[in-house]
Amino acid sequence: MANPAVVRTCCVWCADWPVLAHRRRESTARGVPVAVLERVGNRVVVRAASVEARAHGVRRGMRRREAEACCADLCVVDADAANEARAFESVARAVEQLTPRVVLERPGLLSFPTHGPARYFGGDDALAARVVELVAQSLAGLDHAAVRVGIADGAFAARLAARRAAPGTAVVVPVGDAAAFLEPFPVGELEHPDLVDLLTRLGIATLGAFAALPADAVLARFGDEGAHLHAIASGRGDGPPVLVVPPPDLVEHAELDPPVASVELAAFTAKAMADRMVERLGAMGLACTEVMVEAETEHGERLARVWRHADGFGAHALVERVRWQLDGWLAGAADHVAVALDDDPRARQDAAALADAGLDSTTGALTMVRLTPAVVVPVRGRQLGFWGGDAAAHARADRALSRLQGMLGHEAVVTFVRVGGRTPAEQVRAVPWGEPRDAPFAVAGETPTWPGAVPSPAPARVYDPPVPASLVDIEGRAVRVTGRGEATGAPHRLDCARLPGGGGRVIAWAGPWAHDVRWWDEVTRRRCVRWQVLVDTGGLEVACLVVLEHGVAALEAVYD
Amino acid sequence: MVLAEPEESLEVVDPASALGLRALAGAVRPAVLARARVLELTGPLAEVLGGSLRRGSVLALDGPLGAGVTSVVGALAAEVTARGEWAAVLDDGTFGGAAAAEAGVVTERLAVVRSTAADRWPTVVAALLDGMTLVAGSVPARLRVGDARRLVARARERGAVLVPIGTWPVEAAVRVHVLGSDWVGLAPGAGMLRTRRWRVHVEGKGAGAHRGHAVHAVAG
Repeated sequence: MANPAVVRTCCVWCADWPVLAHRRRESTARGVPVAVLERVGNRVVVRAASVEARAHGVRRGMRRREAEACCADLCVVDADAANEARAFESVARAVEQLTPRVVLERPGLLSFPTHGPARYFGGDDALAARVVELVAQSLAGLDHAAVRVGIADGAFAARLAARRAAPGTAVVVPVGDAAAFLEPFPVGELEHPDLVDLLTRLGIATLGAFAALPADAVLARFGDEGAHLHAIASGRGDGPPVLVVPPPDLVEHAELDPPVASVELAAFTAKAMADRMVERLGAMGLACTEVMVEAETEHGERLARVWRHADGFGAHALVERVRWQLDGWLAGAADHVAVALDDDPRARQDAAALADAGLDSTTGALTMVRLTPAVVVPVRGRQLGFWGGDAAAHARADRALSRLQGMLGHEAVVTFVRVGGRTPAEQVRAVPWGEPRDAPFAVAGETPTWPGAVPSPAPARVYDPPVPASLVDIEGRAVRVTGRGEATGAPHRLDCARLPGGGGRVIAWAGPWAHDVRWWDEVTRRRCVRWQVLVDTGGLEVACLVVLEHGVAALEAVYD
Repeated sequence: MVLAEPEESLEVVDPASALGLRALAGAVRPAVLARARVLELTGPLAEVLGGSLRRGSVLALDGPLGAGVTSVVGALAAEVTARGEWAAVLDDGTFGGAAAAEAGVVTERLAVVRSTAADRWPTVVAALLDGMTLVAGSVPARLRVGDARRLVARARERGAVLVPIGTWPVEAAVRVHVLGSDWVGLAPGAGMLRTRRWRVHVEGKGAGAHRGHAVHAVAG
């Protein structure tokens, strides 16, 4: 029997989305084994692996080294959450042709209530087939079969049904059968590590066994949270534990005049809105777990998308989602409008017509942005750091830097993080302000010294890419290096446009220091040598680092 | 408990005790010590700059590439960030983070702003002066004198140290000309760069700076 409290839900899951998102951007990654890495604590583990990599035994959660041991020609890349979200936008748009009530859980996973669309398209099976078809179309050129669809009572059962589906197909659990469907799954699916651990030790291994416990006893022993999970396990509803209807004044709304076409400016406005919204929700003891981002363009189009965050959005997380969203919309617009960059009005009209024909993008600048908290729950509290440092100075600096990011772009304001590496450019990573400063591949604590690294002191000006230069010996021949790593002559003169006076005589040097990078890999192997040279540029001694690769010399750094 | 109406609470304060309160407020107000208005220097530049930098002043730096201007900026940023304060560098994207970290900069408090267009330079510097203790950046060619003066005023108002690099068209409390660096450790075909001494020429009119035109050698 159907339970009215349970919302029949369709869940669309694209397996290994990080891999697909990467392949969408880098066409060279198609057809080769790919693993996307993320940092968990101080370990670097596989977050997603392509089918080819899985065939070699690469699994989610493996350490990087284990994964590379399984599959010798594995291509590993860092996770890029912004790109994943942007790429998933096309899937969301495909599904939006069927229903406006799309809820994005995370890039790669979305769900929507089937009530209306299922009736319109003639039943759950027909709807599921249609979703599979549309999403496969939107993934054209990538892995068509990556999409899996599940329809069941409640989002939890729908997600498991999607997981159960074979690639490119759908599983529909009949109305009222959710409890029976969920029965054989292990309790580990509940995503509550403490409770799962306890249940396993109590000998309750499956969702069916957990659901068989009396509901009142579960409530008495495990509290609200336990009762909620018990309801999920027995197929009875799985909304957030307590729903509070959002008070209407929490909606944040901004008219943009003049209209904004740059993501940076729109995101800057959204940041202030998000801060205000989170602050006001906080004052009422609420957190927002689902937020609707809406925008209107100068041509009267209205765009809306829902984002979900299980623990409630903080201001930063919320801004990030809004940013991704606006980025997706405006970047979609840019594809069309780029055609009309010249001032020919006809070209502009054509571009607008093109954009109108395509369903999937905005055609102009944004005139309005609105954030609506769709689902709010009482906040559970959060532990703040004990050692605060000088909070006021930090807040002042944060304000100034965030403001500059709004002005110049997210990537324009950075701080450095020391990471391991041989060359001065490799030894630091620039992290845009506001992003986490954890180095993905650094060991916590001290930075270990790398064998073969360019010795300290580090140069204060680093050119990346290096500036073309010429290093010649006393007879005017370019200095080269033999296969054994010996120089063909002593450096006598260094010329480079960057140096004062265009270069000068070399008065002291050390090298060549050979660097054979990734010698085990045919494709990405790099061989180069470096010299430290002291150049006399008309009375001024300049210390430089010169790199020679493929017989071409370049100025890599100046010890300014 | 019944709270008094605002009017009533005003009436009960008699003038004498109001004066007393004012005096007490003055007594307990945090005193602004001379020390809070200067940045004590401890690193390699302490001697040539007279041991301290005045907050709200301008320290103009110049010198050719390779002389050591960037590492002087690093040394200044290290002084500021090590005290828990913030510094920012405007740069064309070649500022060496590893060198800054080696110079003792706390990198999480050093913001690097990259590739600023010349016409926006004054705006960006002004925004940074609002939040940072030290702001350093290469002066664009043809910076207007009016913009430069406004930045000097902004630095004074915010108590931040502005370090323009290159040709600074208006007054500066201290001007440091970096003439060159003497390197130790590298020989023809042997050794490697180990340590350096900057040769600097300091002109100053502000407190704490050495008057005169002597050339100082500083180990950095």
